[in-house]
Formats: sequence, structure tokens, C-alpha cells
Amino acid sequence: MKSIRGPHSIKTILSIAIAVVSISFTLLVSAILFTQFSSTIRENATVSTREIVRQVNANLNYYTNDILTIAGYARDLAKQTNDLPRFEIEQRLRSIVDSRQDIVCLVLFNLEGEAVLSTSDAKLRSAKEIKDQTWFTRALGGEGNFYFTGPHVQQLFTSSYPWVITYSQQISYLNEGGETKYGLLAIDMNFWAVSELCQNARLGSTGYVYFIDNNGKIVYHPYQQLINSDLFNEDLDAVQEHIFGTFTNTFEGRERLVIVDTVNNARWRIVGVAYMDELMSGLDQYTTVMFLVLAFCIIITILLSRTVSAYISRPIRELERLMNSVERGDFSAPPTVGGNQEVAALSQTFALMVGRIRQLMDDIVESQEMKRKFELDALQAKINPHFLYNTLDSVVWMAEQNNTEGVITMITSLAKLFRISISKGRDIITLSEELEHVRNYLIIQQIRYRDKFEFSISMEAGMENLPTIKLIVQPIVENAIYHGIKYLQEMGHIDIKVFKRKPGAVVIEVRDNGVGMDEQKLSNILSYEGPHHKGGAGIGVRNVHQRIQLYYGSDYGLEISSELDEGTLVRLVIPEQAPIHPIKVASS
Amino acid sequence: MLITTLLLGCSNKQQAQNKTYRIAVITMMQGGEFWGALKNGARSARSATGSVLEFLAPVNESDYEGQISAVQRAIDQQFDAIVLSPSHYTRLEDVVAKARSKGIKVVFADTSLMNVHPDFFITADYQAIGKAMAEHAFSHFAEGEPIKALVLGSMPNTSSMTAIVEALAANFAKKEGAEIVYATYSFTDEAIAKDITTSALASDPSINLIFALEEYTAHGVANALKENQQVHFIAFGTTQYEIQLLERGVIDALVVVNSFNLGYRAVMAAIDLLNGIKPIEKLVDFDLVTKESMFSEEHQRLLFQTLR
Repeated sequence: MKSIRGPHSIKTILSIAIAVVSISFTLLVSAILFTQFSSTIRENATVSTREIVRQVNANLNYYTNDILTIAGYARDLAKQTNDLPRFEIEQRLRSIVDSRQDIVCLVLFNLEGEAVLSTSDAKLRSAKEIKDQTWFTRALGGEGNFYFTGPHVQQLFTSSYPWVITYSQQISYLNEGGETKYGLLAIDMNFWAVSELCQNARLGSTGYVYFIDNNGKIVYHPYQQLINSDLFNEDLDAVQEHIFGTFTNTFEGRERLVIVDTVNNARWRIVGVAYMDELMSGLDQYTTVMFLVLAFCIIITILLSRTVSAYISRPIRELERLMNSVERGDFSAPPTVGGNQEVAALSQTFALMVGRIRQLMDDIVESQEMKRKFELDALQAKINPHFLYNTLDSVVWMAEQNNTEGVITMITSLAKLFRISISKGRDIITLSEELEHVRNYLIIQQIRYRDKFEFSISMEAGMENLPTIKLIVQPIVENAIYHGIKYLQEMGHIDIKVFKRKPGAVVIEVRDNGVGMDEQKLSNILSYEGPHHKGGAGIGVRNVHQRIQLYYGSDYGLEISSELDEGTLVRLVIPEQAPIHPIKVASS
Repeated sequence: MLITTLLLGCSNKQQAQNKTYRIAVITMMQGGEFWGALKNGARSARSATGSVLEFLAPVNESDYEGQISAVQRAIDQQFDAIVLSPSHYTRLEDVVAKARSKGIKVVFADTSLMNVHPDFFITADYQAIGKAMAEHAFSHFAEGEPIKALVLGSMPNTSSMTAIVEALAANFAKKEGAEIVYATYSFTDEAIAKDITTSALASDPSINLIFALEEYTAHGVANALKENQQVHFIAFGTTQYEIQLLERGVIDALVVVNSFNLGYRAVMAAIDLLNGIKPIEKLVDFDLVTKESMFSEEHQRLLFQTLR
């Protein structure tokens, strides 16, 4: 990957932009939904929990009202002892008690603790034992006073220990003597009937309902056993602080929803406790699902953003690739890229530009070639008249001497020279033709310079028809004569050898024993920058070198070595190519 | 389809979080107030945790073979944990070791084994109970008055019985003029207890104190004593009959071990162990209830915990 700093690719920028925008939006929506949902769940949980507690309270209220009604009925009957016999009253009360499983017994005591009326035949405890019990003492003190005890073990009859809740009330009754007396009415209710009202209330899965009295003491608690054994703690302090209403607090590490309500008739308060984590358990599931969906959305978003940005940036990358290839000089690939509108337009413009550049470059190459051709042609045209003049001068001179043979040789050679020079306008001729050209040239020069030099031409067998660009050896030989041999006192030698050199090269070696060159001259001879002496050596040689390189590439050209007073060795190196047919020269 | 997969994945995860453990609760016998309260405690723990309980027990406390096969059944049915009150402190060692070797968490409630240790042990302090019983018994006698006691346990080979008898013996040894005349076991059989009591009293009329260390044994002793209030009688248990006897003065004091607590904590400990949490080490509470204190708020709840 690229370094984090520095310019990022369009693809990366696009990916990140799309992803960031989409993901932020998704997260925002999720957060809003989540908040909304959780507050709704919380609200619903609170409302439904409060409703359950209220329902329990209403049931209890209904129940206690029922007991109060029965007590009222008993109170009325107690005043009718004159009209009805005791057993009749007891019978009526008993039928009420018997019809209800939840009522254990109804007993009217006088203030001494002796039973006046009783719905039970069981043997009562002693009056003293009864008189000392809480429900008895608490209800004393005024007519109409009534009292509900908390759950306790009944202590009215011997050998019977049911758990009851006692309703007690001081009432007035008529005794057998017809006197109005104060008595104490007690109704014992089965505790399980009351506790069932509470146990059926399900607040979450482990929530519960309990009761406290006006002193904040627990009257009933479903976990009373555990509380006794210190295995369970109840947060009574918080309930004392919140007399009434709904609140949440954290107790022993769990958030609890607590609902406190007052209980009618009894001086109790009902407390509903629900655990928030249970009430909100639906939220957990919702949260998990939401997180998974969210993760899924984010993954999809990332993939999508990558795909989209790749789709947008691919043509640009393609264009970039094309531009790079153009930069490297490859104008061949057509720079057309599909994709979106903008990039397509850009690509078209680029294509036009590249086309134009290619055209301009072709033009430049063409004009350069033309220019060089003109130069060469001009050079050739410059040499030839001079040479022709000298040759013809020699012919005239020989004709004057009646040297017919010499004239014939001279003219024949000249004719051959020109025939090969022209070579039907072709640039490529065979090696043998090229050597023939040089041979004719040398013959003419040998005559002109009156045997001032000798020459030899040799070629490895089988190379006769190998191609070469024409007229490359003659300028070298010319150079050897004019700048090497001409100044010699002794006999000059020009040896031309043609051979193959690995790999795939043909070497035409021209060796003379002329005056040679110093190093300065040698290094200048092939370079463009070198000083050009008028009529100095090198122009022709350099031309040959340039022509070979122009035609065959920079691997080929001239190799020159020279030593003063020793001679010069020029090697023309051209590639070995497939043989060609020689130009048909009309036989003389 | 993907959403469905996700939802399914979720619900699976939820289940994994609230794993429902299966726990076998193996008491010494099926009936009895003591074991009933223990089972109630266990049920209370079940409600609080959402675990699954199965109660296994032989009909009679003396049937340790039945208890061994109950443990074996719990092993076969691959329960996650076993709450066990061994009724014999050596005979159950093999089967308990086997259960533990299978990776089942074993919690002893009330009694233990001699050589094989459980993953956790919850019990009352039976040494302290023995001491409290002895001291309460002594309080009924004047200084220097000879005390001749009969001790009737239920099962001879349980750790709790052994501990109480040892504690009683130790405390009697310290008390001048006090002696345990006879100590034996009823095998939780009311009739045997009655016979032992009757013949013991007949052979040694000077016996003036009886300890019955289990509720059925206490019933047997009470049946033998009838309304005999000359003999002081201290018993284990919370049966309605015992409570009536307490009120009538036949029984001087009832020893109540909070077996509800025992059952609750044993199951909670098993679940803690399964969740990799160390359970809280705490002894189970007990109390000595007399006629005077029986209707106090605290003792009401202890004594009448399973009565209605």
C-alpha cells in the first residue's frame, strides 16, 4: 500500500467518502431507533409493572373489603342475640365461613378473652393466652377500630398451627343477659390465600411483590426465609424514602424498578420490585439483532463504496496508464477509454492530442530524413563532377598519348562505376557490386596517380550476394588515397577484405599504409562536433558512418584505428542480411 | 434468509448465556419435615435461577444402597451437579468419587463422607448444636443433681449424628454428675425408637434426660414417654406432632436446623460451581426453640416453615 501521507487515489477518497457518509447515516438512524426503542420498552415495562402491582393491590383491596363486609355482617348479628338463639347466629356465620376456603374461622371474644361466638368447634386456648396476642391488644381502644395483622401462626386453638392473617375489630354486642358489651371480633384468613395474590404477580421473571407496615417492617415477603437466613437483602431504606410512587435504583448491583403503593384498609404498603435487566430483556435481543444488521449494513456499504468508486475511477486509471505509456514514448496504443462522460471526453481530447503529437513527430522524422538525403545527395553531387573532371582530363591526356588501351580501361571503368552508382535508383546493392564499384574507382585512380599505389580486394566465399547500402566503401578509399597514400614517397597499398564477424555482422575492412592520423584527428573524425576543415578529411567518412547508422541502427557503423606513419584501418560494420539478387548489368 | 440466520444465531447465544443446569438433589429419604424444608429451599433456588431440579431419594433413611443407586442414576442421566446428603459416610464414597471423576459437581448438604471430598460442603455446626443441646439440658437440672441421659440417634454412620453424639459426650464429660447411660440409633424407625426408650426406661428408671436426634426417632420416644414429664426431652425436628408436644411440655426444647437454608444454599453453590464461581462459605443456622419462644416471630418462621 501507499504511505498514509501524501495524495490518495480517487478510488480511496471516493470509497472513504461514500463509506463515511453512509455509515454515519446508518449509525445515526440506528442510534435514534435504539434510543426510541429502549425508552419505549422502558416506559412499557414501567407501565405494565405498575399495572401488575396495582392489580395485586386492587385484588387485595377487594379481598379486604370482602372481609370487612363479613365483619359488618357479623357485627349486625352480634346485636341480634335477643332475636336469634346463639346456635342460629353461629350457624349463619359458619355458613359464610364454610363457603370460603380462605377464611379459617370467625370468633367473637369478650374483653376477657373468652369466646362469645365461634364458627369452630375446636378447643380454644385459655383466655389469658388469647388476650395477650397482638391482634387482640391492638384492636382494643374504641369501637370500629380494626386491625390487620401480618402473617403469623394462629394461636387460637390447641394443636393447630395454620399461618393466618387476622382481622380484628372491637365491636359491641348484646350478651345473653341483653346487656350491650364490648367484644373483639377476629377473622382469621388463610395466609396462603393472601400470599397467592402476590405470588401470582409476575414482575419480569424473578420480580416480586412484598408488603411493609407503616413502620417499614416487612409484613409479607416471598423471600422471607432467605431474608431470615441473611441470604437475601431487601432495600427497605429506599422504600422508606419513597413513600409512594415509582422509582428506579440500583441495589446489590442490579437496577430495580420499585413501585410503592398504599394498601387500603390495612396500614400497609405494597412494594413491587422488578429487575430492569429482565424487563429490558427484549431490548437485549433487539440490540443483538440490531448490531448484527448494523454490521451487515456496514460491510455492504464498504463493499458497495469500493465497487462504486472502482467503477468511477477505473477509466481514470486506464487513462493514467495510457498517459504513462505515451510518456514512455509509446504512441501506438489508441488512447480511448470508456466509462463515464467526463472521462470519455477527457480521453477523446487526449487521443486527439496524442494523434497530433504522433503526426508532428512523423513529420519531424520525415523532414529530417529528407534533409539528410538532400545533404548526401548534395555531397555526392559535389564529389562527382570533380572526380569526373579529373578522370576525363586523364582520358584526354591518354588519348593524346595514343594510349588507346588506357583510354578503354578508363572509360570502361568509369562506365561501370556510374552504372553501379545509379543502380536503377536502388539504395541496396550486393557486396560484390559494391566491391566492383570500388574496384572500378581504384582502377581509375590507379591510372590517374600513375601506379602510386597497389590495391587488393578479397571477399570470403558465399558473401557475394549479401546486401549492403551502396557507395559506402568508395568514400573510405577516396579518403585513404587523398589523405594517406598521396603524401607517401614509397608505394601505397590499399587492401580491402570482406568477411563475416559473429554475431551476424559483415565487416568491410579497408587498410592503407598511408600517413595515418594522430589521436586528435581520429577522435574528431566520426563526431559531429569536430572541426570541419575545408577539404579536410572526414566529411565523406562521417557521411558513411551516419548513413550506416541511419539505416542499420547505432550498433553498426565505422571502426577506425590509425597510427601516424603506419597507416589507417577502417572497418565498415553492417548487419548480415539475407542474400539479394544483383542488378542485371548489361554485359559489355 | 440472512436475517433469519442472524436471529437464530442470537437466540442460540441467549440460550448459551442462561444455561439451564440440571441438578439432582438426593436426600436421605423421601419424607420428613427436615427433608421437606430442604427441598423447599432447593425449589426456591430453582425459581431464582431457572435451573432444573430432580429429587431422588430412597424411601427410608437407612437405605444407603437406595441412595447409592440414586447417585448412580444421576450419573447415568448426566446431571450437571448433584446435591447429596450421604446417609452413610463410607459406603457412598465410591459412587461419589465416580460422579466427580465424570466431571459432575458434587455438593454435600448436611452430611459428608469420611475420605471422599465433595466440590463443596454445606452443613450446620453439629458440634455447636450438640453443645447447645447439652447446655440447655443441664439448665433443667439443679446444681449437683444427677443427670442420666439416653441418646437416640437415627443413623449410626452419618457425619452429623457422629458429630452431635461426640459433642454431647464431650459436654457430659465436663459436667459433674452427668452421664450418658445409653446411646444408640433408631434407623429412623418410630417403633424401634419407642421400644428402645421403653426398655431403657424400664431397665434404668433413673434416666431423666432423653435426646432424640431426628424427628421420627423423637416421635417414637414421645410415644414411649406418653405424658411422662419427669423425663426431660430434647428433640430434633419441626413436625406438627413435635410442636404439639412442645406446647404440652413433653418436649422441653426442639432443635431446628434451617434445612430450607441448607437446600437453597446447596443448589446455589452447585450453580456457582458450574458457573466457575466460588460459593460462599457459611454455616447453616440452627436454633433451640422452647415453649416460651415458639411463637416469637423468628421461631414461628423456623418452626412452622412447612406448615399451613
